[in-house]
Amino acid sequence: MPLDTSTYNLALLRVDGRRWNELRQQKGQLGVQPSADGSAYLEMGNTKIQCIISGPNERDLSKSTSSASTAPTSNGAGATVAVSIMIAPFATVDRKRRGRNDKRLQEMQTTIASGLAATVQGQSYGPRSTIHISLNVLSQDGSLLACLINAASLALVDAGVPMTDYLVACTAGSTSSYAAADEEADPLLDLNTQEEQELPFLTLATLGATDKVVAMVCESRVQLTRLEGMMATAADGCKGVRDFLDGVVRDKGELMVQEGAIGRGEVVSSMDLD
Amino acid sequence: MTSLKRSLESDSDSTNNFSSKVYVRSTKSGKVQKIVREVYLRQDIPCSSKLCSRCRNTAPANAAGVVNPFVLSDKPAGTKEYPHGHYLVPDTNALLNAMDLFEQSTAFYDVIILQTVLEELRNRSLPLYNRLIGLTKSEDKRFYVFFNEFRLETYVTREEGESINDRNDRAVRRAVQWYNSHLAQTKSKKLPTVVMLTDDRGNIEKAQAEKTPATRLRDYVSGLENGERLLDMIAESQEKGISRDKKAADFLYPEHFSLSKMMTGVKNGMLHQGIFNVSPYNYLEGSIKVPAFPKALLVLGRDNINRAVDGDVVVVEVLPKDQWKEPSTKIIEEEAVTKNENADGDEGEDLVTEKERRALQEEVKKTHSTSTEGRAQPTAKVVGVIKRNWRQYVGHVDQSSVSQSAKQGRKQESVFLVPMDKKIPKIRIRTRQAGELLGKRILVTIDSWDRDSRHPIGHFIRSLGELETKAAETEALLLEYDVQYRPFPKTVLDCLPKEGHDWKVPASTDDPGWRGREDLRPLLICSIDPVGCQDIDDALHARPLPNGNFEVGVHIADVSHFVKPSNAMDHEASIRGTTVYLVDKRIDMLPMLLGTDLCSLKPYVERYAFSTLWEVNANADIVNVRFTKSVIKSREAFSYEQAQLRIDDASQQDELTQGMRTLLMLSKKLKQKRMDAGALSLSSPEVKVQMESETSDPIDVKTKELLDTNSLVEEFMLLANISVADKIYQSFPQTAILRRHGAPPKTNFDELSNQLKIKRGLELRCDSSRALADSLDACTDPKEPFFNTLIRIMATRCMMSAEYFCAGTQAYPEFRHYGLASEIYTHFTSPIRRYADLVAHRQLAAAIDYEPMHPAVRSRGKLEAVCKNINVRHRNAQLAGRASIAYYVGQALKGRVADEEGFVMKIFSNGFVVLVPRFGIESVIRLRDLAEPEPESTFDAENYVLKTSGSRELSVELFQKVVVRISDAKDEATGKRGAKMELVKVIG
Repeated sequence: MPLDTSTYNLALLRVDGRRWNELRQQKGQLGVQPSADGSAYLEMGNTKIQCIISGPNERDLSKSTSSASTAPTSNGAGATVAVSIMIAPFATVDRKRRGRNDKRLQEMQTTIASGLAATVQGQSYGPRSTIHISLNVLSQDGSLLACLINAASLALVDAGVPMTDYLVACTAGSTSSYAAADEEADPLLDLNTQEEQELPFLTLATLGATDKVVAMVCESRVQLTRLEGMMATAADGCKGVRDFLDGVVRDKGELMVQEGAIGRGEVVSSMDLD
Repeated sequence: MTSLKRSLESDSDSTNNFSSKVYVRSTKSGKVQKIVREVYLRQDIPCSSKLCSRCRNTAPANAAGVVNPFVLSDKPAGTKEYPHGHYLVPDTNALLNAMDLFEQSTAFYDVIILQTVLEELRNRSLPLYNRLIGLTKSEDKRFYVFFNEFRLETYVTREEGESINDRNDRAVRRAVQWYNSHLAQTKSKKLPTVVMLTDDRGNIEKAQAEKTPATRLRDYVSGLENGERLLDMIAESQEKGISRDKKAADFLYPEHFSLSKMMTGVKNGMLHQGIFNVSPYNYLEGSIKVPAFPKALLVLGRDNINRAVDGDVVVVEVLPKDQWKEPSTKIIEEEAVTKNENADGDEGEDLVTEKERRALQEEVKKTHSTSTEGRAQPTAKVVGVIKRNWRQYVGHVDQSSVSQSAKQGRKQESVFLVPMDKKIPKIRIRTRQAGELLGKRILVTIDSWDRDSRHPIGHFIRSLGELETKAAETEALLLEYDVQYRPFPKTVLDCLPKEGHDWKVPASTDDPGWRGREDLRPLLICSIDPVGCQDIDDALHARPLPNGNFEVGVHIADVSHFVKPSNAMDHEASIRGTTVYLVDKRIDMLPMLLGTDLCSLKPYVERYAFSTLWEVNANADIVNVRFTKSVIKSREAFSYEQAQLRIDDASQQDELTQGMRTLLMLSKKLKQKRMDAGALSLSSPEVKVQMESETSDPIDVKTKELLDTNSLVEEFMLLANISVADKIYQSFPQTAILRRHGAPPKTNFDELSNQLKIKRGLELRCDSSRALADSLDACTDPKEPFFNTLIRIMATRCMMSAEYFCAGTQAYPEFRHYGLASEIYTHFTSPIRRYADLVAHRQLAAAIDYEPMHPAVRSRGKLEAVCKNINVRHRNAQLAGRASIAYYVGQALKGRVADEEGFVMKIFSNGFVVLVPRFGIESVIRLRDLAEPEPESTFDAENYVLKTSGSRELSVELFQKVVVRISDAKDEATGKRGAKMELVKVIG
């Protein structure tokens, strides 16, 4: 059994050897499911998510009664975003099946749906269409909500859905628990499961590299004085995530050009953003 | 087409600074879990040596930009072997076996603790881990934790077929190599060597092959200056690791079950888990309370006890019904039975010696002959130990186990240590200084108890001083009851107000200290305490109101104003838990400045207080109650006697005295109400030791007198506690800190009520506290006024002990305080000397919106931990106080012989226990003490009568009054001086 989070102060190292402001190793890929309208695969540490987009389709009322959470874009004038999360039984240490009506999952679905609805330019589709985002959790090791949001962003880019910017999210915690009342607690970036279980943390989603907060979720008790530091750290982390996602998209573009899927001229005219 | 699989493979080359740790663990429920953790390898983990400038440049900073200072000295101490100085790298076994050594102040500086070692130590022993963490925090010891598993160069992957221990050893060696080559780059002239400290022979050999500096712990210590002394502190067990070639036939004890086997057994009800308690009269008899049986399970004999020590959490198997027995009626003392055992010669002995067998045999005979159908208790045998509860033990070396030659020479030999606590078996220790240790109080610890050893094996920690000297005995007592008696560290003293003794209540009422405080200075408040009390927690007042009711106020020192939550002082106080009162000494919970001055409600000065104010009518019914922080000025500090005199003196008609009379009048009514509700009046033989004022030598022993004023103060304190408990429970139903006293299980009184029925024809009812109180009142003997007290003392011993708890952990009906017959109760009135009261103060302050609730007082998990600790501390403080009195009673009796009356309170087949109320002592009188040769005896267990014949003819029965001659004698078994009793005659 490795050490716990209380040893941070001994050498300023976290349980997995990171410093306070380091993200975990990330891997990402676009178009992992060619039959879908858009798909992506994202790893942040050992949290692994596959996201599949179908749509925009015409709204099918029989389908929308399923457990997915929905949110309308553009004040109801645009397409609806529907999010459903499936956690694979093998994703956690204990193998267990989760019901579709798990309240925690539904809450995450709602958070993701409303966050994305604010980012997606849905008016180009009309109010009767729905974008279905289905997220599969293949492995779970902390920062689940953040990772789900990032994977969904990446898949929406692959699907070609217009968005104002990437919606990126990241978690931040604090090195000592609520009750310790330790004023010298350091903020921590991108928590894994062990840290989430032992320490207070929040999930923050921002719009791309800006500091505009789209969503913030904090379920643990934390001193108000530490909150600001945690939010600033999380916002920094979001910038890092955005750069990474952007890199994945650009690499994919490059690859498509090389493979001849798109002509070079087209790319330069439409993707010459820097 | 892309697939998930391919993408992972293509990425794998970029993972050279990344690894993952996979391990398998099994949960309590027997499930196997596979855990995968990431490991990020890096190169910016500093070596923390002040010699190294490279590391200083790359050292990481925390979020505030502060870099941890470098720890390891640039001029480390040298030894003969390492003249240029050295840093130590102990492996896990070195720490496990010799943590005491590392805590020495004479040696073991500049130590590098590797992460590998820290993790392993944490798995093996959490207490040791915590001690090590404590060491790394101390500045002068210079311990540095190097996270070798996260540094790229020192990370080691486990090879195929390699055991986890070998891998860890290799990791330690790798780290040592890295350190040496890293320090070599500093080009320092005096290059310190980094030395691995281990006792594993394989590891040493491998290190030598790799040319890694390594040494055995024993060799290292003997190379130190005061090595001789330190050598004894190395644990015994490791020696054995080298020559373990004993055959299975040599094992004396049955093997313990594996943990999983015990778990499964407990789960399906075949086995039972509980805490092992040893009978204070018979070291071969233990008992375990388990939920499955109403009566405690008995564990008889060395074989069945199977290496369990008092306090251990053990798993037992119940024996077949035909082996069930009654609890022993015989006194068996280890000292008497195993007197001549040889500490060195363990071989060839049977587990159960002939003498022990004979002692037990008589037991068996007796149980078979008498028809004891209903009274037999289930017996059990220990099959495994879940958790050892070994601590450090105080004792003295058994003189007879020391050989003559050892008294001069320095030869190492085994000796027996006889612990002060009779429930702990003799401990075998190996020492080179046996001669010096004779006649000293020494502190030892148990290292192990193997199947092939009759006695547990331990090692010497330190000597406290000569037996029977005041300093040594007091320290022994404090250690034995785990009382924290070291002076307060600087960090704690830093929390005190800067003004020191000059601190005053601010004169201006605009001062922030006055915020939310009521000015109660005009009230005529006084305090009543024992003579010479310095830490005055409480003060009282009463005055008539215009409507004919009375206003009564209890004012408690406002300690929470000075002790803020979660600072160093609060932390220290929460560990100490309570002030411990010994006869000649007080070990404070809070520093003197607060306890005896700033918080203490001394007379004639203004002090901050937390006041409870009631309006009560003439019947002492509460009309309303309110709580407020306040400023008061006590008019007088009375002793109980002074207060009594003043109240009784009719010529005193001033307002203060009138107020005290009102208080007394109300307190009597309150007491009556409490008694009507079924409060118990219990008893314990309390005595007071009188000291000579100059030399503080004890001169006399007096029983405590109780005056009306004692009960006056007590009643109002109870009332305040109950009112506060109500209030904080209303405001914080989950986290309020309360005190409960469980109703004792009916079976606890079985023995006593049976005894009363047979001997006196009295009935003891215990269905409710009311019934018990009434039947205790009925237990009188017109000829013998003390008889009632005796029964109360014995009934008290059947009770449960009261405990602190967090409101959320119990259902409301469980809150009841059985002894006080109150629905709800807490401790509020003594915050200077009890930590629970301090917590209650903070909660009450939050409940009346005086200040916001601090998170530490709101977190239930934290509060539960606090409750658990203070429950233990509270109990230990009581025991320590009693032991201290017992010691001084022994000292006061020194050189005196007195004939005193006593009562038989327990009877065995070969002796009986007599309580002498005059001195509050009880002692065993054995048959063999009665006459020489030991008289023949017949014991009638049913009627509690012991008849002797032959050399002395007597008939002793339970509750009988006897006259005993008390003289002082040193008890060879425990090294304590105590009263020795001889029976003079039997009365009635």
